[in-house]
Amino acid sequence: MNGDSAAPLVCLSGLCRHYREGEVTRTVFAGLDLELARGECVVLFGRSGSGKTTLLNLVSGIDRPDAGRVDIDGTDLTGLDEEGRTLFRRGRIGFVHQFFNLLPTLTVFENLMLPLELNGRADAAGRQRASGLLAEVGLADRRDSFPDRLSGGEQQRVAVARALVHDPLLLLADEPTGNLDAETGARVLALLQRLALASGHTLLIATHSREATTIADRVLVFNDGCLREEGAPAAE
Amino acid sequence: MNTLPQRAGRRHLARHPWLLALALLGITLGVAVVTAIDLASESARRAFTLGAETLTGRASHHVVAGPGGVDERLYASLRLAGHHGLVPLLEGYLQLPGRTLQLLGVDPLVEGPVGRPGGSGDGLLPLLTVPGALLLGRATGAALGLTPGADFTGIAGGRERRLQLAGWLEPTDPVQARALDGLAVADIATAQELLGRHGRLSRIDVILPAAERADGLARLEAALPPGVRLETAGRDAVFMTEVTAAFTLNLTALSLLALLVGAFLVYNTMTFAVLQRLPQFAILRTLGVTRGELFRLVSTEALLIGAVGTVAGLLLGLLLGNGLVGLVARTFDDLYFTLTVSGLFLTPWSLAKGGLLGLGATWLAALAPALAASRITPGTLQRRSALEATVRRLAWIAAAAGGVLLLVALLLPAVTSGLVSGFAALFALLLGAALLAPVAVRGLAWLLRRLPMVQAGVVPRLAVTGLVASLSRTGVATAALTVAVAAAIGIGLMIDSFRLTVDRWLGQRLQADVYVSAPGALDGTLSNPLPEALPGRLAALEGVRATSSYLGATVASPTGPARLAVVDIARAGRAGHVLLEGDPDVVWAAFDAGAVLLSEPFAHLRGLAVGDRLQLETPTGSRMFPVAGIYADFVGGSGRVLMARTTWRQHWRDPAVSSVGLYAETGVDVEALVTAARAVTDPGVPVTIRSNRALREASLQVFDRTFRITGVLRLLALGVAFAGIFGACLMLQEERAREFGMLRALGLLPGQLRGLVTLQTLLLGLAAGLLALPLGVALAELLTTVINRRAFGWTLALDVTAGPLLGGLLLALGAALVAGLLAGRRAGMRPAAALRGE
Repeated sequence: MNGDSAAPLVCLSGLCRHYREGEVTRTVFAGLDLELARGECVVLFGRSGSGKTTLLNLVSGIDRPDAGRVDIDGTDLTGLDEEGRTLFRRGRIGFVHQFFNLLPTLTVFENLMLPLELNGRADAAGRQRASGLLAEVGLADRRDSFPDRLSGGEQQRVAVARALVHDPLLLLADEPTGNLDAETGARVLALLQRLALASGHTLLIATHSREATTIADRVLVFNDGCLREEGAPAAE
Repeated sequence: MNTLPQRAGRRHLARHPWLLALALLGITLGVAVVTAIDLASESARRAFTLGAETLTGRASHHVVAGPGGVDERLYASLRLAGHHGLVPLLEGYLQLPGRTLQLLGVDPLVEGPVGRPGGSGDGLLPLLTVPGALLLGRATGAALGLTPGADFTGIAGGRERRLQLAGWLEPTDPVQARALDGLAVADIATAQELLGRHGRLSRIDVILPAAERADGLARLEAALPPGVRLETAGRDAVFMTEVTAAFTLNLTALSLLALLVGAFLVYNTMTFAVLQRLPQFAILRTLGVTRGELFRLVSTEALLIGAVGTVAGLLLGLLLGNGLVGLVARTFDDLYFTLTVSGLFLTPWSLAKGGLLGLGATWLAALAPALAASRITPGTLQRRSALEATVRRLAWIAAAAGGVLLLVALLLPAVTSGLVSGFAALFALLLGAALLAPVAVRGLAWLLRRLPMVQAGVVPRLAVTGLVASLSRTGVATAALTVAVAAAIGIGLMIDSFRLTVDRWLGQRLQADVYVSAPGALDGTLSNPLPEALPGRLAALEGVRATSSYLGATVASPTGPARLAVVDIARAGRAGHVLLEGDPDVVWAAFDAGAVLLSEPFAHLRGLAVGDRLQLETPTGSRMFPVAGIYADFVGGSGRVLMARTTWRQHWRDPAVSSVGLYAETGVDVEALVTAARAVTDPGVPVTIRSNRALREASLQVFDRTFRITGVLRLLALGVAFAGIFGACLMLQEERAREFGMLRALGLLPGQLRGLVTLQTLLLGLAAGLLALPLGVALAELLTTVINRRAFGWTLALDVTAGPLLGGLLLALGAALVAGLLAGRRAGMRPAAALRGE
C-alpha cells in the first residue's frame, strides 16, 4: 500500500477496452487517463451504454483492459492474476449496484457481515461495526429480515452499509439511484455522502442522473469513449 | 463449516426442498442398491466358502472316486491296513418346507469336520440308534420350530422321509455357528438310508499331522484301487468361486448402473442449484470471493448432500440387502450349486465400499457444476443471456465429445475381449448419449417450431421456444432423464431377449412329447436314477415311436468338476441340440464314436474349442475325450459336457438313467401317453411325468426365478428414473416462477399458464423418452451380445420387443405429465410474489 497521502489513490493510464460482437469490434474507450485523489468524490456522468460500467469493472479488477494500467494505492491491478485481483477487491473495494445485489438467502445483518467475514474480521469488533452501520442507515430494527422483505430504498441502504463495512479504500457505485424514485434516490445519495465522504473514503459514482452530481467534487462526462471534466458544482 | 456463503447455500437448498430431496433420493437409492447387492453377493459367497471350509475342516486331502462316490468297504480296508487320520463322509441334500439343508453323514465316533457330533450331549445314542435321527444347528432348529425329540418329515434321495431331531450341533465359535446353520448331520448309515446311497461315501477326508503327512499320503495313494484318487482339499471350492465371479461381477455392474443414474440426478440437482444461484455467485465474486473458494463452496455442499444421502443409502442398503440375499442365493441355486444363506454377513468393507462410492459419485457428479460455479464472473450479473448463448455453443462441443464416447463404445467391444472393457463400453455409451442430449433438445425444438399448430398458438410457441431458451436447464435435465429411462429400457430388453432365446431354445431342445424323470434330475445336479426296469417298460408303451434318455453326473477334471449330460438321443431329438460350430453329420458321427460336445458356457469358462481334448477322471484313470462340437445350452452357469450313453457306459460302467423322453407316434394323444406312462410306474416310486408343454413351463419358471434379482434391479432403476423425471421437471418449472409471474402479469390466463407448463414438461419428457429409445436398444445390445457372452459364454440374440420400449416412453411421459400438472397448478398462482422473487 502506498501511504503517501499526496499521491492519487487511483491512477488510470492509457486504458483501452474493446468488445467483439460477432464480426464487429466495438471500442468502448481507447487511451483513457484518470486520477482520483484520496477522499475525493467523482461522478462519472454519461448516457446508458457509454462505458461507465466497463470503467468501474476495470477499476475494481472485475475486468482487465486490453491495454493500459490500473494503479490503485500503488498496486498495478493489470499485473495481478485473477485471484490476486479478487483478493485485492475483497479488501480494498466496496461496491454499490443499481439492483442492490444483496444475497437473498442471508439476513440483512448477515449480508453486512459477509465482507467482514471474507476479510477475517467477523469478530466482536466487526459485529459491533456492522450493528453501528446498520443503525446509521436506519435499519437496526430490520437486522434479521431477509432482503425480499425490504423496500428498494431500504435494500439500497443495506447495500451502502455493506459496501462500507470493511472500510475499503475505494467505494464504487454503479447507478446507485437508478432503481429508486427521486426522493429515495436523494436519501441514498445523502447517505453515501454522509457515510463515505465524512469518513474519508474515495468515491467513484457512475450515473446517468444529474442528481448525483450534487455530491461530487468533480464531474466527468463520458461521451464517445472520452472523458471531459465539468467544473464541480457548488456545494449545497 | 458455517461461513456465511455456506449458510446462504444451505438456506437456498432449504427453500427448494424438491431440489434437495431429488439429490438425496438419487444418491440414497444408488448407494442402497450397490450396498444391498454387494452385501447379498458377499453373504452368498461367504456362506459358500464358510460352508466349504467347515466341511473341509482340518483335512488336507480327500479320497474321492467317480460320480457314484467311494465304496465304504474301502474305508474299512484302509483302516485295517493301518492307515489312520481318515474320516468318512457322505454329502447330500435334505428338502424341508421352505428351505434346503445340506445333509452330512459322519461317523459320530470319529473327530470330523463338525467335531464329534453329539459326543458331549444326549444326542449321541439316538443319532446311532433312531432311524432318521439327525442333528441341527440351534438357529436352524429354531427357524423350523423344532426342539430335540421332535419328529418331522423331509425329502431326501427323491423320497419323503421320516426324521427326528436328536439334538443340537454345538459350534466351537460364532463363525462355526453361522456355518452350521443350514447343515443337518446324521450318522453315515442313516444318511445312506435317507439318500438312497447304500454302501457309498462321498469322500474320505485325510487328516494327518504335518510331520507324517508326506509319507502317509504317499502310502495312502499307493493303496488306492483304480478309479479312486487323492485330491487336495478345497479345490472344488476355489473352482466354484471362480465360476461364480462373472455372475457377481454382473450384479455389481448392474448395481453400479443404478448408482450412475443416481449420480446423474445429483449432477442434475447441483447444476440446477448452480444455475439458480448465478446472481448470488456473481455477487460473491464482486465482494471478493475467489474462484477456488466458490469451487470449494459448491463441492462442500454436494459432499454434504452426498454424505447424508450415503448414510441413508447404507441404512436402506442393509434393509434391501436382507431382502435380496434370498434372491441372490436362489439364483446361485439355479445357476451353480445349492446354497444356504441364513442372513447378511455384514462386512465393514462392503459398507465402506458403498460409502466411498456414494461420496465419490457425488463428488464426480458435482465436479462440473462446481467448476461452472468457479468460472462465474461478476459480469454475469449483467450478461444472463450471454450465459445461455455460451451454453448453446457448448452444446455442440458436448455433442462432439458425446460422439467420440459413442465411437469408443462401438469400438471397445470389437477390439477387446474382457468383461471389464465390455462394461467400460456400456458406461461410455451412456455418458456419450447424455452429452448428446442438449443438441437433441435443440433438434426437437427446431422440428416442433415448424409444425403449423405450434406456430399458430402462443402457448405452444412459448413452450417450444422455452426449451431452447433455457437450454442450460433443459439440456441437463434431458440428459439425466435419458440415462435413467435408457437404463430401465436396456435391462428390460435384455431380460426379454434372454427369455425369448431360452423359450426358443427349449422349443428346439425339448423334442420328446413326454418326459419321465426322477425327482431332482431336471437341473442335472442331483442324478437320482429311475428304477432300472422303467426305461424299458416306457419304451414298450403303445404309441411310443422312439425314446431318449438322460443321466446327470458330475465327474472330476483337472480344471474343476465337470457336469456331464449323458444322453441317448433319438435321431429326431438331435436337431434340438443347436451346434454353434461344425458340420452336424461329422459332429454327431464323432459323438457316437466317443467324442464329447461342450455347451457354450463350458467351452467359454474352460477355454476349450472344437478339436481340443477334455480330460476327465474315469474309474480306470484319466481319459482324454476329443471335443467334436460346441452347442447352445442354457442349463446352469458353469456349463455341461454332452456325452453319448455308450461312451459313458464304456468308461464308467454305470447303466443308470435319470430321465426318459418319449416320442409319440403321429396322432397319439399326449395326455393319454402321460396316463399310460403313469400306469407302468411302480406306486410309491417318486417319478415326475410331464408333457413337453408342462416341462417347458417349469423350465421357464426356473428362468424367471433366476432373473428375479435382475428384475428387482430393473424396478429400482425404474423407480430412480421416475423420481428423476418428476423432480427435474418440477425443478425446471419452479426455477421459472418469476417468468411465469411476468406472463401472468402480461395477461396470460391461469389455464393458459397451466397448459404452457404441462406442455413444456411433456416435451421434455418426450425428448428424454425419444432419445432413450435408441440408447436403451444399444444398451440392451451391449448387455445381451457382449456382456452376457463375456460373463457367461451365452450367445444371445437381441429381440427388440415393444414392451420395454413402450414402457420407457410411457414412464418418461407419465412422470413428466404428473410433474407438469403439479407444477402447472403452482405456477402463476401468486404472480405478485413470483415477480418479487419470493
